[in-house]
Order: sequence, then C-alpha cells, then structure tokens
Amino acid sequence: MIRRGFQVAARLGHHRGLLGAPRILPRLNPASAFGSSTDSVFSRFLPEKTELKDDALPNASWCLDMLCLYQEFLEKTKSSGWIKLPSFKSNRDHIGLNLPSGLAVSSDKGDCRIFTRCIQVEGQGFEYVIFFQPSRKKSVCLFQPGPYLEGPPGFTHSGSLAAMMDETFSKTAFLAGEGVFTLSFNIRFKNLIPMSSLVVMDIEVGKIEDQKLYMSCIAHSRDQQTVYTKSSGVFLQLQLEEESPQ
Amino acid sequence: RSCAARLRTLGALRGPPGGRRLPGREPRPALRSFSSEEVILKDYSVPNPSWNKDLRLLFDQFMEKCEDGSWKRLPSYKRIPAEKIQDFKTHLLDPKLVKEEQLSQTQLFTRSFDDGLGFEYVMFYSDVEKRMVCLFQGGPYLEGPPGFVHGGAIATMIDSTVGMCALMAGGVVVTANLNINYKRPIPLCSVVMINSQLDKVEGRKFFVSCNVQSVDEKTLYSEATSIFIKLNPAKSLT
Repeated sequence: MIRRGFQVAARLGHHRGLLGAPRILPRLNPASAFGSSTDSVFSRFLPEKTELKDDALPNASWCLDMLCLYQEFLEKTKSSGWIKLPSFKSNRDHIGLNLPSGLAVSSDKGDCRIFTRCIQVEGQGFEYVIFFQPSRKKSVCLFQPGPYLEGPPGFTHSGSLAAMMDETFSKTAFLAGEGVFTLSFNIRFKNLIPMSSLVVMDIEVGKIEDQKLYMSCIAHSRDQQTVYTKSSGVFLQLQLEEESPQ
Repeated sequence: RSCAARLRTLGALRGPPGGRRLPGREPRPALRSFSSEEVILKDYSVPNPSWNKDLRLLFDQFMEKCEDGSWKRLPSYKRIPAEKIQDFKTHLLDPKLVKEEQLSQTQLFTRSFDDGLGFEYVMFYSDVEKRMVCLFQGGPYLEGPPGFVHGGAIATMIDSTVGMCALMAGGVVVTANLNINYKRPIPLCSVVMINSQLDKVEGRKFFVSCNVQSVDEKTLYSEATSIFIKLNPAKSLT
C-alpha cells in the first residue's frame, strides 16, 4: 500500500507538471483508433488542437483511488483502443455542430456551461473523466463527487449522481451513434455514496434501433464490493448539421 | 440578466468570503452576529433579480394559495441545520461513513450557484392533497444540448421535488428508484412547473410520481415515477 502510494505520488508529480503545461490536447488520429464509419463523429468531437482547458485531467483534489484508476485507463488508451474524452466547460465547444433547424434555440445566454462542469472550483463539484472504447461501445466514468454535491448529510445528492450518469450516457450515445437527447432514464439506487469517494461507472451500449440507443450502467466502488446504482438510459439519434462558416 | 447582482451571502463561517450586498433589495431583518454553534440561514426560495416574469407570476399565484393555509411555501437553505443532521445520522447504517470535518464544507447541491446561474426554484406543499409543486427556472450553468437544460439537471430537480414530497409524508427518506421519461427538451432559462403527488405508501416505501409542464400547462416536458425508502436504524437500503 505504501509503495503504491509512492508510485502514485510520483505520477501525481508528473501530472502536476501537466497542470502548468499549455492546454493543447495531444494530437489524435481518429482513423487509426476507430472504424471509418465513426471517423467524422470523432474528428468533430476530438479536435486536434485547441486552446480550451480540458477539465478531465488530474488535479490536486483527486483521491488516490481515482489517480490509480486514471493511470490504468491511460495505459489502456495506448494498448487496447480506449480513448480518454476531453471535457470542456461548454458542450458548444465539443460539438461544433448545430441542432437540426427547428430545434435550435438562439444562444444569447451569455456564459453557458455544461451542467457537469458548472462548478469550476477544483474538487468542489464534479470531478470526472470518461474513457470510451469504440470497438466494444463501452465507456467508463471515474467520478468523484465534491462537497457542493451534497444531498443527505455527508453523502452525494442522488440528483448529482443521476446527472453524472446522464452525462456519461450522453457522450457515449453521441460517439457510439449520434445520440443527442435523453428519452428515458431509470435508476435504481442501492447504496449511498460518501462525499468525495470514487465512483466507477461501467456503461455499455446495447441495441441501436428505430433511431434509439439503449444503454446500461453500473456504478460501483473501486473494489467492486459495493454497488451504488444500476441504471439504464435511452437516447434519441439525431442527424446534426455542420456549423455554417461565420 | 442580473448575473452581476449579488445577494449578501449569509452562510456558515465557511461560506463564500466577502459580504456582497444587492442595492435596492427589500429590507431584511437585521442580522445578529452568531456564535460558532449557530448558523445564519438564508432562505433561497424567495424572488431575486434573476427570476423572470413567469417565475414571479407563478410565485405570486401560489403565495395567494398559501393565504388560507391549504398550501405552504417551503424555505430552502444552502446547508442543513445542525439538528436535522443529527436526525439523519441516527438513521444511518454506519455513522462512521460521515466524516465530521467534511460536513462543515458541504452545501446542498441545488443551492451551490450564484443567483440565476443554476437552479432557481421554490417549492409549495399541500398537505391535504399530498402534492409538492416546484417552480423551476434553469440557468445557463445547467446546459446540456446547446440551448437546452441538461437531462441530469432535470433529473436533479425532479429528484429534489419528489424527494421533498416523500419527506413530508415519511420523514427521513432516500431515493431508491427514479424513472424519468423525457418528452420534450426544456429551453434554458425558461420556467417549468414540477407537479408531484404521493401515490401510495407500502411499509417503508413511498411512491411518488410527477410531471413537468410549461407555465400555461399546455406543454408536457417530462414525466417521472419514483420510490423513496424511509431509513430504519441498522437496516440497509435494499
């Protein structure tokens, strides 16, 4: 345990270096990682270069469990076709596309944020990172709820957990099959989640039919001994339009 | 939009730093200084400058309903008062799970935003009808698909509303099951009514359903059903 602690501390040192580094995402070659059918979706979602801050990177608030698992999955991005999803403050930064005309709403709202990045103070709100495996249409979300997500005293608000699941479903649905809107969502809560502990969410895409994507999720502790929730979600597929040049 | 306007923050000692006052605000009772054992509790379920016309109108309508006592407006705080925390802990399976030092830094999720940016809401309760109505305006920090409220934010407000409904009937409860059908996306910064109803009670289980409608009740945005469980000392959730 102590040795692992040192190893993790050493990696944390490396990641601290990352914190100060310029916020340019590593270059990704979508064609090499995914099948050609998903090329266009990925290339829009994961831009080659950007000055946007990626919130899905380790910071000082991440607990040891989270850092360890992050490291494990980072290794998998090199060996087994997993991708780490970047996470920006606004969904508009991710999806350089318009909703179909008729659905689009004029965006004069000023500073909008994607809900799960609403609290930008390190460690206080949603700390999370999502990894996606395109070949098997699976994703994993490492989630650490902060003190501003409280529900019952000392425990995570069930709504914030629902939000994290909906968001992971949402990104998975988008990448697996251009799913955009939540149609339905069912969550069975099994155990309360203590504040600031690590939640691991395993998500699988089941069938895709009739313009709908069906997904399931199990949220559990790192050692898998405690199941926190089991949930399922259905998303609507939508053809998104290219953004017109401005 | 008055994102720049701030209400004076009245938190516990660990609340956000600095006293900020909104000019022209209706006068409030003078604040006494409290010892560290007591907490200044600010009620957030009252109009503030970020509330749009629809929200204010509905608020006034429901306040009128409160006049004969059949409806009650529920106050809403950023932190749970100390005695309620104790109440919760006596029901916990393992009180050691709750770390004391963390409790003082936490705040209720739906009140973790500055005015107008996140959840603006107020709940009204009718004991006779066992109905909890939540008037909700979702701000720009709750975005999902561009221009619309995040499905998870809607789930959070639904969970909070049906949860309060179950709590009024059953005391200390936690969410066991939540099932939401989304019919139409909710535009960001619009106002919706979450209308929830206690359907039945079976032992420790409380069944609550709700719908989410537009102000004129002509648009149905979502429907949900839920089950809450009354916590029993030394018994698990499942």
